Amino acid sequence: MKVISIDLLVGAAVLITWLSVLGMLRMRDPYQRMHYMSVPASLGAGLITIAILLQDGLKPEFFKALVTTFVLIAMNSVVTHAAARAFRIAETKDWKPNAEEEVPIQPSDEPVEQER
Amino acid sequence: MNIWEFAAEATIFTLVPLTYVAMRSDLRQRLVAFFMAGVLITILLMLLTMAFHRMPMMDLAITLSLMSFGGGLVFVRFLARYLK
Repeated sequence: MKVISIDLLVGAAVLITWLSVLGMLRMRDPYQRMHYMSVPASLGAGLITIAILLQDGLKPEFFKALVTTFVLIAMNSVVTHAAARAFRIAETKDWKPNAEEEVPIQPSDEPVEQER
Repeated sequence: MNIWEFAAEATIFTLVPLTYVAMRSDLRQRLVAFFMAGVLITILLMLLTMAFHRMPMMDLAITLSLMSFGGGLVFVRFLARYLK
């Protein structure tokens, strides 16, 4: 039972990793693509950490994997925010929206693209 | 071949599409691919540690996760300040 659980956890982590990469490729601009970094950083690494716990118990490698997972989760959010802010600054002079600029808040506020 | 080795081999091929994006896309897309590659290689190092039973290798995963954060922030600052 424990071996099956470990296999399932590791398999799910690999599947999540692949789906995130493919989803990232599917998106069209870097703001959308950045969302797909958080899934392997949190879920993928977390599932592998649980699998290490199941296999080896409370050994040093589990605690190191736990630290790695926490670092990935914390740093990923910081880097994602900083990158999005930098992209915005590179496009406009300031990251804050202009007075006349419309900022979409709800999904229904997004401009609808004309289908070809 | 145990599950860890199989998972590591499956994960390493996720770097192929990221390499393509890093080679062919514009600057911002390349930076996102670089961030994603940092996360995936960290996961890959965790898997390889378990696959080869070399437990000190887990230190590499911790180090890479911290270093890729610092390196990413340097690129981000450079992009915001100089590439307008």
